Amino acid sequence: MAPSGTVTDHPPSSTTDSFNSDVTAENDIRPFFVLHKASSGSSLHGKSIGTLKSKRRIESPTPKIAKKSEVESVEEEDGHFFSTLRLKVFETVWSKIEKAIEDVLRDSNSKIFSGIHDWIRESFESIISSGALKLSEAVRSYPVLTQASSKQLFTALVLTRNLEMVDDLLTFEELDLYLKSQGCHVAKLSSMDFSAKSGVGGCLRGLLRQFVMPTVDVADVTILASWYRENKNHENPVVVIVDDTERCCGPVLSDLILILSEWAVKVPIFFIMGVSTAHDAPRKILSVNALQRLCASKFTLSSPAERMDAVLKAVFLKPCSGFTVSYKVALFMKSYFLCQDGTLTSFVRTLKIACLQHFSLEPLSIMLEHFCQDHVNQLSGEDTGLLTEATMKHSFDLPSVTRNKITRSTFEMLPQFLSDLQRMPNPWSIVVLCIYEVGKFDKLRLLDIFCEILDPEAHYLKYFSPSEIVNCQSHNSGRNNVIRRVLRKLRDLSPSQLSSMLKSWENLTAEFSEINDKVMELHPFMRSVEAAGQRQGLPNSPKKHTSRSHSKLEKEVKAMTDKVAAVIEFMLREYMKPVETIPFHEILCFKNVDKLQSALLGDPRGKIQSDLLESHNILHCMCCSQRGTTLLPSMHDTSILYTLAQEHADVINLHDWYQSFKTILISRNSKAKQKSKSSSKSKKRKDICEEPEVPAEALIQARFCRAVMELQIAGLIRMPSKRRPDFVQRVTFGS
Amino acid sequence: MEDIDNIEEDDCGFSRNYFLAKELGGASKRSVHKLSDIHIVDEQELRETASTIEMKHAKEISELLSDYKTMYPKWVFELRCGFGLLMYGFGSKKALIENFASASLTEYSVVVINGYLHSVNLKQVLLALAELLSELLKCRRKSSGSLSKGQETFPSPSIDDLLSFLHGPQSEDKDCFICVVVHNIDGPALRDPESQQTLARLASCSHIRIVASIDHVNAPLLWDKKMVHTQFNWLWHYVPTFAPYKVEGVFFPLVLTQGSTAQTAKTAAIVLQSLTPNAQNVFKILAEYQLSHPDEDGMPTDDLYSASRERFFVSSQVTLNSHLTEFKDHELVKTKRNSDGQECLNIPLTSDALRQLLLDLNQ
Repeated sequence: MAPSGTVTDHPPSSTTDSFNSDVTAENDIRPFFVLHKASSGSSLHGKSIGTLKSKRRIESPTPKIAKKSEVESVEEEDGHFFSTLRLKVFETVWSKIEKAIEDVLRDSNSKIFSGIHDWIRESFESIISSGALKLSEAVRSYPVLTQASSKQLFTALVLTRNLEMVDDLLTFEELDLYLKSQGCHVAKLSSMDFSAKSGVGGCLRGLLRQFVMPTVDVADVTILASWYRENKNHENPVVVIVDDTERCCGPVLSDLILILSEWAVKVPIFFIMGVSTAHDAPRKILSVNALQRLCASKFTLSSPAERMDAVLKAVFLKPCSGFTVSYKVALFMKSYFLCQDGTLTSFVRTLKIACLQHFSLEPLSIMLEHFCQDHVNQLSGEDTGLLTEATMKHSFDLPSVTRNKITRSTFEMLPQFLSDLQRMPNPWSIVVLCIYEVGKFDKLRLLDIFCEILDPEAHYLKYFSPSEIVNCQSHNSGRNNVIRRVLRKLRDLSPSQLSSMLKSWENLTAEFSEINDKVMELHPFMRSVEAAGQRQGLPNSPKKHTSRSHSKLEKEVKAMTDKVAAVIEFMLREYMKPVETIPFHEILCFKNVDKLQSALLGDPRGKIQSDLLESHNILHCMCCSQRGTTLLPSMHDTSILYTLAQEHADVINLHDWYQSFKTILISRNSKAKQKSKSSSKSKKRKDICEEPEVPAEALIQARFCRAVMELQIAGLIRMPSKRRPDFVQRVTFGS
Repeated sequence: MEDIDNIEEDDCGFSRNYFLAKELGGASKRSVHKLSDIHIVDEQELRETASTIEMKHAKEISELLSDYKTMYPKWVFELRCGFGLLMYGFGSKKALIENFASASLTEYSVVVINGYLHSVNLKQVLLALAELLSELLKCRRKSSGSLSKGQETFPSPSIDDLLSFLHGPQSEDKDCFICVVVHNIDGPALRDPESQQTLARLASCSHIRIVASIDHVNAPLLWDKKMVHTQFNWLWHYVPTFAPYKVEGVFFPLVLTQGSTAQTAKTAAIVLQSLTPNAQNVFKILAEYQLSHPDEDGMPTDDLYSASRERFFVSSQVTLNSHLTEFKDHELVKTKRNSDGQECLNIPLTSDALRQLLLDLNQ
């Protein structure tokens, strides 16, 4: 093996020396090596942004944006200053979003967490009250406790309602912290600790390391017992969290449960098991003996969809960072969430990538910094100093600006536009949330509403025409039409539902008087509905009864819903302006769905194959671009070989493959060569070695071998087996 | 909706291709041509020639690479934002990534892991990384003036200890990290789940950023969702280079020379050296016979038995047979019947190779 203690091999001084070919060749066969060390430490980090800020201004990104890649436009000679600034703004924006998400998740879990803690406390008290043990008793395994109840291990099954573990990792970490803050001794084990290889000793050792000290290397429960009796440890319960029960090795987990249950009175241990499938999962993986020792309670976490809605609300609809996404991006994120992954973690990651891409694609994105701050209208102040002539030009070339026919003559209005943009989400998000309130009665998801309502080309008002109202009663096809569904549901609401909806609208619009006034106007109607209901004595009964006494109530409810619909119409007409219709929205809205998709979802299988089949598209060479369907010798060897492979079945005869490869390569050469080729087939003629064509033959063979090897590295073929020495196997059929 | 339609179409395309290929196999008779019908040049020569192959489209490839240079600032930005970079696309990406690291990551220490080699030992890598980091942190502390006595030494640390050191709390400037370049993170030495777990844990460390390349079309199957979303945190970059896989392919066998015909003196010597001296001596008798009777089909088994017995190399037919079985298993010896119907033993090597082999054995 090559020497791998490479850090010591290099003296620190000769770190970034020249890369001559010898060094590179030597490095190529080392398992690993230090390419270079950080250049002179802190030179970069010492630079403060503030000092530079006053001097530097945003350079013109526009002239290049049209013709060259976006990266070049963003990164220019003083890219360093801006990359640092951009990083800083990105971090500010993202930390805001991240914090909002964390808060939401903590809120959604807090009820369950305190429930678990209460359960632990109560059970702990009951164990304690059953009788205190003397120290000498408590650290020995004898006398054996015989009552069945004393061997019960209190267990909480936490149903995650989520097949993917990845979302719950954070939840269990939070639970860990929460319980620790409440004074419990907590250890967290995962399925990795419950492997059949290390057995029950492995997980006991893991427990001891977390409880007693990190260097323990023996697996002995008595250590745990004596630790528990030390100091004041025994005043608090011991909690063991296993976050992914289904993936644990069943027998090992059963053994651990059996061992710990023997000690249940001496060391009161509480098991918290994360279960992602169904509550009977423990029955499937644990032995009967172990199951009998469990005294289980159930806790259920909120579903990913619920958490998703809460996150959406916090990030996009409540004042957060200012960053937002376009209709298409939102649709992509939704379909990625629903079709591909279904985990909140991946959704958050998508959001982070979107945010990152926004900062690296849009030069003006650094202005988001000002949106993050709480004060309004900072932009008109000294911070507009960042806006140079060039930036101005860029900002006035934004599509949303030219579309709205805003020209440089309105230059003075720029701060106005920007502060509009800054205030904009408020009425819009209030409307979205109001609609969501109604949609809740129809089990609509905020995700659906959000995605649809971002559509800049939607026309909602058509649903309010009388003919449409009649229509929507009858046909149900509007599957992707949130407003229509909301309007239909509105007509089915009971008076009590209407009343609760009105209350939540009042809260939502409290800060926005224009809408709030309209909402308040609904109150008299609500009161008359309630009055009619009371007269009947049946305020909550569903409507649509034939009896006459109901007709009055029905009429009132109808009048009320008409009014509510009118308010919705008003809100949509006045305030439903999706972000993409607003000038300068590019500053805070990420729109490039293709970039997001390619960064998030690599497609090695498809892309590598298309690279090989259409290599000229990537190389842009003159020689092969005109080829049509014929194979040219100028093409990349591997590309020729892979294209040839397409003509074969699932196995490829090496001889045939080689011959056709050779034919392509020498197709333009003289006939004489062709002849010699056919004669060279007879391998008995050794004298061929002396002929001048043979080096070419060797070269062709070498190129063939190289190309096959490259296909093998790419995983596109499998090498010949003992059973079929003359054939390679095709592995891929289309992308 | 469009996406879903596309996906369905793709799926159909896939299955159609698959069944077409299968059908093709059944309908037209499988070709019976043998690889041995081609006059294959000597492996040594083939390897030498392979190293001299001229690169096609060298100009276009270098243009492609210099195009990617414009992406470097973006990549640095992404690394600094906490993501890992995953490069894919056809062609060796080794030069590209190392060029990127040397050109744009000068502020950070860079460690390169050559995943295409079989001898990668991740624990040693971690140890080296930990040493680098402690050096770096020492530097930082000195420059910032706050000398805290947190001297880390690594006498015999476990992987867990090393990882937890690398995952230490970040200082105020979040920019203190070591960049780890992994060529072929899907390479042979790293393909097992354990290595991937270790790499994933390494990638999630606060002081580490990873830039990796994959070449295998199925490489993403190495990772589960936890690794992808929370540990590696990949940003995919499609960077086909069409550069030849020179170093990556060094340890791959050449398809034309592998198989029984390419049994060379070298591999035979390795096998023989692992056998007992008696077995080696029996083989020598056979080899010497073959060299002195080049025109015969081989040495009759009975003759070999009597010759070996005379020199006390074997005591019975059974011992000889066990030696012969060993030879045959390693394809050192083939049996044939000669014109008299006798069973003959033959070593499938040329005279030159055989002479070389005897020389090697006698040393």
